[in-house]
Amino acid sequence: MLLYLGPVIFGFLIGFILGSRIKNTPTSNIKFTVGSYVVIFIVAIIVAWQLGPFPYYTDLPIASGFLSAAIGLITGKLIFGRYSI
Amino acid sequence: MSTILKMFAFPASFIIICLGVLTILGGHITPGGGFQGGAMIAAGVILCVIVYGVDESPIKFSHGFISAIESIGALGFVLIGLAGLFASGFFLYNLGADFYNILPQSIVNIFHYPDPTNAGIVPYLNIFVGLKVFVGLSAVVIAFSQFKRITDTGNPEDKVNPEAEEIIGD
Repeated sequence: MLLYLGPVIFGFLIGFILGSRIKNTPTSNIKFTVGSYVVIFIVAIIVAWQLGPFPYYTDLPIASGFLSAAIGLITGKLIFGRYSI
Repeated sequence: MSTILKMFAFPASFIIICLGVLTILGGHITPGGGFQGGAMIAAGVILCVIVYGVDESPIKFSHGFISAIESIGALGFVLIGLAGLFASGFFLYNLGADFYNILPQSIVNIFHYPDPTNAGIVPYLNIFVGLKVFVGLSAVVIAFSQFKRITDTGNPEDKVNPEAEEIIGD
Protein backbone atom coordinates (compact mmCIF):
# COMPACT_ATOMS: atom_id res chain seq x y z
CA MET A 1 0.00 0.00 0.00
CA LEU A 2 1.37 3.40 -1.00
CA LEU A 3 0.78 6.14 1.56
CA TYR A 4 0.62 9.66 0.14
CA LEU A 5 2.84 11.71 2.41
CA GLY A 6 1.76 15.22 1.35
CA PRO A 7 -1.49 15.57 3.32
CA VAL A 8 -0.11 13.53 6.22
CA ILE A 9 3.00 15.69 6.73
CA PHE A 10 1.48 19.11 6.10
CA GLY A 11 -1.77 18.31 7.92
CA PHE A 12 0.31 17.37 10.94
CA LEU A 13 2.41 20.55 10.68
CA ILE A 14 -0.56 22.94 10.46
CA GLY A 15 -2.31 21.05 13.25
CA PHE A 16 0.84 21.19 15.36
CA ILE A 17 1.14 24.96 14.91
CA LEU A 18 -2.48 25.42 16.00
CA GLY A 19 -2.25 22.86 18.80
CA SER A 20 0.67 24.70 20.35
CA ARG A 21 -1.72 27.61 20.95
CA ILE A 22 -4.31 25.56 22.88
CA LYS A 23 -3.80 26.48 26.54
CA ASN A 24 -5.56 25.66 29.75
CA THR A 25 -6.98 28.68 31.52
CA PRO A 26 -6.83 28.26 35.33
CA THR A 27 -9.43 30.98 35.96
CA SER A 28 -12.04 29.45 33.65
CA ASN A 29 -14.87 27.42 35.20
CA ILE A 30 -14.79 25.03 32.22
CA LYS A 31 -11.89 22.58 32.39
CA PHE A 32 -10.96 20.37 29.43
CA THR A 33 -9.24 17.37 30.97
CA VAL A 34 -7.31 14.54 29.33
CA GLY A 35 -10.55 12.60 29.05
CA SER A 36 -12.13 15.48 27.12
CA TYR A 37 -9.33 15.38 24.58
CA VAL A 38 -9.64 11.60 24.25
CA VAL A 39 -13.37 11.97 23.48
CA ILE A 40 -12.71 14.81 21.01
CA PHE A 41 -10.06 12.69 19.27
CA ILE A 42 -12.43 9.70 18.99
CA VAL A 43 -15.06 12.01 17.47
CA ALA A 44 -12.40 13.29 15.06
CA ILE A 45 -11.61 9.71 13.99
CA ILE A 46 -15.32 9.07 13.37
CA VAL A 47 -15.63 12.28 11.31
CA ALA A 48 -12.52 11.31 9.31
CA TRP A 49 -14.02 7.86 8.67
CA GLN A 50 -17.31 9.39 7.54
CA LEU A 51 -15.46 11.78 5.20
CA GLY A 52 -13.89 8.79 3.50
CA PRO A 53 -10.83 9.06 1.24
CA PHE A 54 -11.18 12.82 0.75
CA PRO A 55 -9.95 14.46 -1.49
CA TYR A 56 -9.63 11.58 -3.94
CA TYR A 57 -6.70 10.04 -2.05
CA THR A 58 -7.58 6.37 -2.07
CA ASP A 59 -4.55 5.17 -0.11
CA LEU A 60 -6.54 4.96 3.14
CA PRO A 61 -10.29 4.54 3.75
CA ILE A 62 -10.30 7.69 5.95
CA ALA A 63 -9.49 11.37 5.35
CA SER A 64 -5.75 11.22 6.10
CA GLY A 65 -5.32 15.03 6.11
CA PHE A 66 -8.12 15.43 8.63
CA LEU A 67 -6.77 12.72 10.91
CA SER A 68 -3.19 13.99 10.75
CA ALA A 69 -4.44 17.49 11.58
CA ALA A 70 -6.23 16.08 14.64
CA ILE A 71 -3.09 14.20 15.69
CA GLY A 72 -1.05 17.38 15.15
CA LEU A 73 -3.45 19.41 17.28
CA ILE A 74 -3.26 16.93 20.14
CA THR A 75 0.54 16.61 19.84
CA GLY A 76 1.05 20.38 19.76
CA LYS A 77 -1.22 20.75 22.77
CA LEU A 78 0.72 18.07 24.69
CA ILE A 79 4.16 19.50 23.87
CA PHE A 80 3.70 23.29 23.90
CA GLY A 81 0.19 23.99 25.16
CA ARG A 82 0.24 22.65 28.70
CA TYR A 83 0.26 25.89 30.64
CA SER A 84 -1.55 29.14 30.28
CA ILE A 85 0.41 32.27 29.35
CA MET B 1 -22.25 32.65 27.66
CA SER B 2 -24.02 29.59 29.05
CA THR B 3 -22.23 26.50 30.32
CA ILE B 4 -23.72 24.34 27.58
CA LEU B 5 -22.21 26.62 24.93
CA LYS B 6 -18.88 26.59 26.73
CA MET B 7 -18.84 22.80 26.81
CA PHE B 8 -19.76 22.54 23.13
CA ALA B 9 -17.73 25.34 21.56
CA PHE B 10 -14.18 24.03 21.97
CA PRO B 11 -14.84 20.45 20.67
CA ALA B 12 -16.78 21.96 17.75
CA SER B 13 -13.95 24.36 16.97
CA PHE B 14 -11.49 21.43 17.09
CA ILE B 15 -13.45 19.63 14.36
CA ILE B 16 -13.93 22.86 12.35
CA ILE B 17 -10.18 23.50 12.47
CA CYS B 18 -9.43 19.97 11.22
CA LEU B 19 -11.92 20.47 8.37
CA GLY B 20 -10.18 23.76 7.53
CA VAL B 21 -6.82 21.99 7.33
CA LEU B 22 -8.39 19.36 5.07
CA THR B 23 -9.79 22.12 2.83
CA ILE B 24 -6.34 23.70 2.55
CA LEU B 25 -4.70 20.37 1.70
CA GLY B 26 -7.30 19.52 -0.95
CA GLY B 27 -7.22 22.96 -2.55
CA HIS B 28 -5.45 21.86 -5.72
CA ILE B 29 -7.97 19.13 -6.63
CA THR B 30 -11.24 20.11 -4.92
CA PRO B 31 -13.22 23.31 -4.39
CA GLY B 32 -11.52 25.27 -1.65
CA GLY B 33 -7.93 26.20 -1.06
CA GLY B 34 -5.81 28.40 1.14
CA PHE B 35 -8.24 31.23 1.69
CA GLN B 36 -11.29 29.06 2.27
CA GLY B 37 -9.50 26.65 4.58
CA GLY B 38 -7.87 29.51 6.45
CA ALA B 39 -11.27 31.13 6.89
CA MET B 40 -12.62 27.83 8.30
CA ILE B 41 -9.75 27.61 10.78
CA ALA B 42 -10.35 31.23 11.75
CA ALA B 43 -14.05 30.38 12.22
CA GLY B 44 -13.07 27.77 14.80
CA VAL B 45 -10.85 30.26 16.62
CA ILE B 46 -13.51 32.99 16.44
CA LEU B 47 -16.12 30.60 17.86
CA CYS B 48 -13.91 30.11 20.92
CA VAL B 49 -13.20 33.84 21.25
CA ILE B 50 -16.90 34.70 21.12
CA VAL B 51 -18.04 32.00 23.53
CA TYR B 52 -15.22 32.13 26.11
CA GLY B 53 -13.92 35.66 25.59
CA VAL B 54 -10.31 36.51 24.73
CA ASP B 55 -9.01 35.97 28.27
CA GLU B 56 -10.53 32.53 28.85
CA SER B 57 -10.41 31.17 25.31
CA PRO B 58 -8.64 27.77 25.10
CA ILE B 59 -7.07 28.86 21.79
CA LYS B 60 -4.86 31.83 22.54
CA PHE B 61 -3.11 33.76 19.76
CA SER B 62 -0.45 36.12 21.08
CA HIS B 63 0.71 39.18 19.16
CA GLY B 64 4.06 37.54 18.46
CA PHE B 65 2.43 34.36 17.14
CA ILE B 66 0.11 36.30 14.84
CA SER B 67 2.90 38.45 13.41
CA ALA B 68 5.21 35.42 13.00
CA ILE B 69 2.66 33.32 11.11
CA GLU B 70 1.62 36.30 8.94
CA SER B 71 5.27 36.86 8.06
CA ILE B 72 5.89 33.17 7.34
CA GLY B 73 2.85 33.03 5.07
CA ALA B 74 3.79 36.11 3.06
CA LEU B 75 7.50 35.32 2.88
CA GLY B 76 6.90 31.70 1.91
CA PHE B 77 4.67 32.72 -0.96
CA VAL B 78 7.17 35.29 -2.23
CA LEU B 79 10.15 32.95 -1.80
CA ILE B 80 8.47 30.19 -3.81
CA GLY B 81 7.74 32.75 -6.51
CA LEU B 82 11.33 33.97 -6.47
CA ALA B 83 12.61 30.39 -6.63
CA GLY B 84 10.66 30.01 -9.86
CA LEU B 85 12.09 33.28 -11.14
CA PHE B 86 15.70 32.32 -10.45
CA ALA B 87 15.38 28.73 -11.66
CA SER B 88 13.35 29.29 -14.83
CA GLY B 89 13.06 33.01 -15.50
CA PHE B 90 9.33 33.14 -14.70
CA PHE B 91 7.97 34.40 -11.39
CA LEU B 92 5.86 31.69 -9.67
CA TYR B 93 6.89 29.10 -12.26
CA ASN B 94 5.61 25.69 -11.14
CA LEU B 95 8.96 24.14 -10.23
CA GLY B 96 7.40 20.95 -8.92
CA ALA B 97 5.54 20.15 -12.14
CA ASP B 98 7.82 21.77 -14.79
CA PHE B 99 5.32 21.73 -17.66
CA TYR B 100 7.84 23.32 -20.10
CA ASN B 101 10.58 20.75 -19.31
CA ILE B 102 13.22 23.41 -18.76
CA LEU B 103 14.50 22.36 -15.33
CA PRO B 104 16.82 19.59 -14.12
CA GLN B 105 15.05 16.71 -12.40
CA SER B 106 16.76 17.44 -9.05
CA ILE B 107 14.97 20.81 -8.72
CA VAL B 108 11.65 19.27 -9.75
CA ASN B 109 12.05 16.59 -7.08
CA ILE B 110 12.64 19.21 -4.37
CA PHE B 111 9.41 21.11 -5.11
CA HIS B 112 7.27 18.12 -6.06
CA TYR B 113 4.30 17.72 -3.68
CA PRO B 114 4.17 14.06 -2.53
CA ASP B 115 0.78 12.99 -3.88
CA PRO B 116 -0.34 11.45 -7.21
CA THR B 117 -1.72 14.68 -8.76
CA ASN B 118 1.57 16.25 -9.98
CA ALA B 119 0.41 19.63 -8.64
CA GLY B 120 3.91 20.98 -8.01
CA ILE B 121 4.07 24.12 -5.92
CA VAL B 122 0.30 24.81 -5.84
CA PRO B 123 -0.32 22.94 -2.53
CA TYR B 124 2.58 24.82 -0.94
CA LEU B 125 1.09 28.13 -2.06
CA ASN B 126 -2.26 27.03 -0.61
CA ILE B 127 -0.61 26.20 2.71
CA PHE B 128 1.13 29.58 2.94
CA VAL B 129 -2.06 31.45 2.00
CA GLY B 130 -3.97 29.38 4.56
CA LEU B 131 -1.50 30.25 7.32
CA LYS B 132 -1.75 33.94 6.47
CA VAL B 133 -5.54 33.96 6.27
CA PHE B 134 -6.30 32.10 9.49
CA VAL B 135 -4.18 34.41 11.64
CA GLY B 136 -5.36 37.49 9.72
CA LEU B 137 -9.07 36.83 10.17
CA SER B 138 -8.56 35.72 13.78
CA ALA B 139 -6.58 38.90 14.49
CA VAL B 140 -9.47 41.02 13.20
CA VAL B 141 -11.93 39.49 15.68
CA ILE B 142 -9.43 39.57 18.56
CA ALA B 143 -8.76 43.24 17.80
CA PHE B 144 -12.49 44.02 17.71
CA SER B 145 -12.98 42.41 21.11
CA GLN B 146 -10.11 44.51 22.47
CA PHE B 147 -11.60 47.69 20.95
CA LYS B 148 -14.75 47.04 22.93
CA ARG B 149 -12.68 46.79 26.09
CA ILE B 150 -10.97 50.09 25.28
CA THR B 151 -14.31 51.86 24.78
CA ASP B 152 -15.60 50.44 28.08
CA THR B 153 -12.59 51.18 30.28
CA GLY B 154 -10.23 53.36 28.23
CA ASN B 155 -7.40 50.84 28.69
CA PRO B 156 -6.91 47.54 26.83
CA GLU B 157 -5.26 45.99 29.92
CA ASP B 158 -8.18 46.71 32.26
CA LYS B 159 -10.99 44.30 32.90
CA VAL B 160 -14.35 45.25 31.49
CA ASN B 161 -16.83 46.74 33.93
CA PRO B 162 -18.33 43.68 35.70
CA GLU B 163 -21.87 45.08 35.46
CA ALA B 164 -21.48 45.61 31.74
CA GLU B 165 -20.00 42.10 31.39
CA GLU B 166 -22.99 40.68 33.23
CA ILE B 167 -25.36 42.46 30.90
CA ILE B 168 -23.47 41.14 27.88
CA GLY B 169 -23.49 37.63 29.38
CA ASP B 170 -27.24 37.72 29.76
